[in-house]
Amino acid sequence: MRRPSARRITALLAAGVLLPVLAACGADNDKGGSTEGGDSALVIYSGRNEKLVKPILDKLEKAVGAEVEVRYGDSAELAAQILEEGERTKAGLFFSQDAGALGALSREGMLQKLPQSSLDAVDEAYRGSEGDWVGLSGRVRVIAYNPDKVAEGKVPDSVHDVVKPEWKGKVGFAPTNASFQAFVTGMRVLEGDDATREWLKDLKANGKTYAHNLATLDGVEAGEVELGLVNHYYWYERVAEKGEDKVNAKLKFLPGKDPGALINVAGVGILAESGQSATAQKAVDYLLSKEAQTYFADTTKEYPLAAGVTSKVEGLPPFDSLESPDIDLGKLESLQETLAMLQDVGLV
Amino acid sequence: MNDTNELHIEGLTKSYGAGEPVLRELGLTVPAGALTAVLGPSGCGKTTLLRIVAGFLRADAGTVRLGDRLLSGPGVHLPPERRRIGIVPQEGALFPHLTVARNVAFGLTGTDRAERRRRTEEMLELVGLAGYGDRMPHELSGGQQQRVALARALAPKPQLVLLDEPFNALDSALRTGVRSDVRAALCATGATAVLVTHDQQEALSTADLVAVVRDGQVAQCASPQDLYRRPADPWIAEFVGDAVLLPATVDSYGTARTALGPVPLATPPGGPSAGTVLLRPEQLRLTDTDSEGTVRGTVTDICYYGHDAMVTVTVEGHDTPVGIRVAGPLPVSQGEETGIRVVGEGSLHRGGGLRG
Amino acid sequence: MTRGSGAGPGSRPPLILLVPACVAALFALLPLGYLAVRALERGPAFAWDVVADERTLQLLGHSLGLTAVVVGACLVLGVSLAWLTVRTALPGARAWSVLATLPLAVPSYVAAFAWLSAEPDLAGFGGAALALTLVSFPYVHLPVAAALRGIDPAQEEAARSLGHGPLRTFVRVTLPQLRPAAAGGALLVALYVLSDFGAVSLMRYDTFTRAIHTSYRASFDRTPAAALSVVLVVMTIALVAAEARTRGRAGHARTGTGTARPAVPTVLGRWRPLALLWCAAVSAVAVAFPLGTLGYWLAVGTSATWDLGGLAETAWATFGVAAAGAALTTALALPVGVIAARHRGRGARLLEQAAYAGHALPGITVALALVFFAVRYAYPLYQQLPLLVGAYAVLFLPVAVAATRAAVLQAPPVLEDVARSLGRRPWQVLREVTVPLAAPGVAAGAALTFVVCMKELPATLLLRPTGMDTLATRLWTETGAGSFAAAAPYAAALILLAAVPSYLLGRHRT
Repeated sequence: MRRPSARRITALLAAGVLLPVLAACGADNDKGGSTEGGDSALVIYSGRNEKLVKPILDKLEKAVGAEVEVRYGDSAELAAQILEEGERTKAGLFFSQDAGALGALSREGMLQKLPQSSLDAVDEAYRGSEGDWVGLSGRVRVIAYNPDKVAEGKVPDSVHDVVKPEWKGKVGFAPTNASFQAFVTGMRVLEGDDATREWLKDLKANGKTYAHNLATLDGVEAGEVELGLVNHYYWYERVAEKGEDKVNAKLKFLPGKDPGALINVAGVGILAESGQSATAQKAVDYLLSKEAQTYFADTTKEYPLAAGVTSKVEGLPPFDSLESPDIDLGKLESLQETLAMLQDVGLV
Repeated sequence: MNDTNELHIEGLTKSYGAGEPVLRELGLTVPAGALTAVLGPSGCGKTTLLRIVAGFLRADAGTVRLGDRLLSGPGVHLPPERRRIGIVPQEGALFPHLTVARNVAFGLTGTDRAERRRRTEEMLELVGLAGYGDRMPHELSGGQQQRVALARALAPKPQLVLLDEPFNALDSALRTGVRSDVRAALCATGATAVLVTHDQQEALSTADLVAVVRDGQVAQCASPQDLYRRPADPWIAEFVGDAVLLPATVDSYGTARTALGPVPLATPPGGPSAGTVLLRPEQLRLTDTDSEGTVRGTVTDICYYGHDAMVTVTVEGHDTPVGIRVAGPLPVSQGEETGIRVVGEGSLHRGGGLRG
Repeated sequence: MTRGSGAGPGSRPPLILLVPACVAALFALLPLGYLAVRALERGPAFAWDVVADERTLQLLGHSLGLTAVVVGACLVLGVSLAWLTVRTALPGARAWSVLATLPLAVPSYVAAFAWLSAEPDLAGFGGAALALTLVSFPYVHLPVAAALRGIDPAQEEAARSLGHGPLRTFVRVTLPQLRPAAAGGALLVALYVLSDFGAVSLMRYDTFTRAIHTSYRASFDRTPAAALSVVLVVMTIALVAAEARTRGRAGHARTGTGTARPAVPTVLGRWRPLALLWCAAVSAVAVAFPLGTLGYWLAVGTSATWDLGGLAETAWATFGVAAAGAALTTALALPVGVIAARHRGRGARLLEQAAYAGHALPGITVALALVFFAVRYAYPLYQQLPLLVGAYAVLFLPVAVAATRAAVLQAPPVLEDVARSLGRRPWQVLREVTVPLAAPGVAAGAALTFVVCMKELPATLLLRPTGMDTLATRLWTETGAGSFAAAAPYAAALILLAAVPSYLLGRHRT
């Protein structure tokens, strides 16, 4: 009685295995043709989350008048993948969450120089020093605070203040977050390694760590901490989702070119060897267009960097009012030393 | 046909790794149509021998012939599936995922379905299991499984059947029955068979010929009677049955002087000599203490078997107690004095070594 | 004597096994080839500098410490639950047994995330060990439960009659027989822990895998990552060798044809509430807690969009690709597993070790290796389904090899001898005897592989056909955007889909 039942299970499993295999192969064949399409087709490797950018990339497909396929992933992993693919890369356009991954491709000479018209669309600070990538949208580091716990006037004006003893146990931050690490890198560029290391040690003593920015914001919201070092747009997304009256936390934009007010950008570069340059160039033009820039402003709550679009998000300070530190984003390309420092201090 | 089924083994040598050789130039001839037992203590190399003959192992040297076919030899190694040798392993080893009938039919390839069925039924009938074809192996008793294993081995009409301690796992009540059934089935098919066992009773009672293997060599190959009555040396004598071994000096008349008195020898040496005299326990009789020509001893132990009994007696002038097989009612009890008389002839072995 | 070893120590496996086994081994060794190319890209001196660093030693300590603790905890959980569900009169034993296999379906990053959101202070060694233990103990539970079912109860009865209490009997008679099964499971756990990125990154515990990821992420430099990966490979080889030693010369216990008499379940008596509590507690933290967290996300979040059509489509695609992965992995594992079970000797050992060699590598490294080879030598396959399926086979070959080997060991080798003597060639013996007998165990291995394929993330992200989504990539997308409520249905579907094979695995009797 045992054997037959074991055999039945085996047969069921075998059938269960084979059916979808066949189905999957069939499905695969259907798609086969489209990936091989003519040179007008464009493949985008997107390090930006599908949820954030799919609507605008759908519009992009119409705008460039060619078939567009998007491969989503992690910016750094996609950069590694493109480096591994080399000349035979499938990607025509790389849409990165941050400048670092674009810089890595630029260093390996994999990106194509962009026409001056594209480059000139954004401020010099937000494009690659080799002229082979361009920023599309920016996000600024801010301090989120819980107004129930700390009065608006008492919120620190500088990240240097949050390591003071009065904030002990009251500061939340996400040390593994790429934006946080970019900010620390910026601080190293601005103030040197020794000062940054000291600051990190003090922050570790004062702070409470979270898995990511959103968790940090939730920590502030729930009153677990009074201050949180986050990117601005998380708050605006929460407000958009729940309504402003339901969101307790508030944001403080830091004045005086504080390193804590660093602006990170998401950007694009064209892969030189992909043979998709023409379509890719059209895509870059579209992403710098008013329509796309407005999308970044309205939907992802970021700062648009081109086409003269200004964010109409309520309560968001105008982009040119931000007092961000002057930093060559190209220097943020190597995070290695920052990570070594974070490890040294024991934060990651 | 059977005449060509003789198994002929010559110079077979095998060692595992760098260790002592397990087989040392072993030679053995198994006559066609006979059931030959390969008897030996564990570790003597008999299983290795069986696996080489079956083709599961390669010998280092030597040849194995079956009839006019060379199975193993220098540069020759016929794979097991082409040897036409059936095996009956310990505990039967039926395929648990197949019915009894499909187990039996497993080796029947290249014949049509009807023929396969006929042969399967014939074989099951031969082993007394007609009608069991649809059962699964685990629904059979141990003895039944063993019979199916035999039917399976015999079904493709092999030239040779190897039985690897096939009765080991059976309890003694079943054993005798299965053993005689197997013998009958083998006889009926006329197959040449080799039975590997460490059980001397099994070997003597089942086989036509017994080959005693010791240290990787055949120490003696003889009919069961010859082996028991005329073992080649004291070690074999003790291995194939209970033995009374007595140091002796032989006078010029060919009579051995032993602790049990004078013993006539079956084949006396030409002149005076010394050695060990072998007697079987059934050659000793208990007598009154004062009878003529008897030696005295004290009963130290009695093992009663029903059909007979083994009485252990210590005798002055002999270190080891002597076993005496007594049939019928017991005339003595433990601790009593008794007389001992020798009946029949002993055999003399040179050298005093009692144990191999 | 060498009775029943099927083939002597020196005997060579038949070509019909050897050739496909070598193909499987070469396949599994691809990542190592890639590592060699990348690690030595800038010369051995550079690679040595990366490795010969104080930090390497620290990472080594972290990785090994975490591995040791998780393996220890998994052994306690896996063996205790296996014994309770298989050998005692525990009420609802079968249900507990299924519950004990379900955690396999929980991705380590989901477990870590759930714990972290409940208690942020868990971050670090403790949290990483907790999350990893709770997702990987079924690797020990499953083989040990199967082995417990196979042990002849007569031996335990003999021990009891010799005056040993139940506990001493378990420790002195049962446990030693479970050792090969437990060691095999422990090896898989150890390699899983070494290769895991999800849990250690969320828990912020610095291990080799995390350092490798950091190297990609921070410096976009593949050479140091490869050099560090080589250290992982060396650790793997050491672990595999250690496991092989615990196997010793322990062979197959039962050569008989009959199945062992089922054991009389141990009556728990006054321990019953405690045993129930233990099972309930483990199920609660390993299954109910992550599911509850998902429910909580659904309840409080607003991002939930009940796109049932999309969910079903993704689930079906996941099912298909994981099933294909399981099928290919099992097919490749079969010859390796049979050789590992039936042939001793250096060659057989090397084949098996080759299958394991890359198993401790993080998914991203294996994925990049396949990118490297596919782009150069199999470009038409690149970013096509077959390559993704191949990646699953490289990643999870050891899971299937371990199951196959154990299953084949359960089938007495003497049956193969008999089949040979009845005129079957080696490949016929394989088809007609070995495979049918090992089928239930091999199928269990396939089911296990299916579950782990389904939740695989890093290789899937890099190698999937453009535009294709699995439940795991969807989960990643949603959580990446902070839409936890929207992520919850995908995670739940993942666990539910895995529950089917887990249920079959829990029922599986060897």
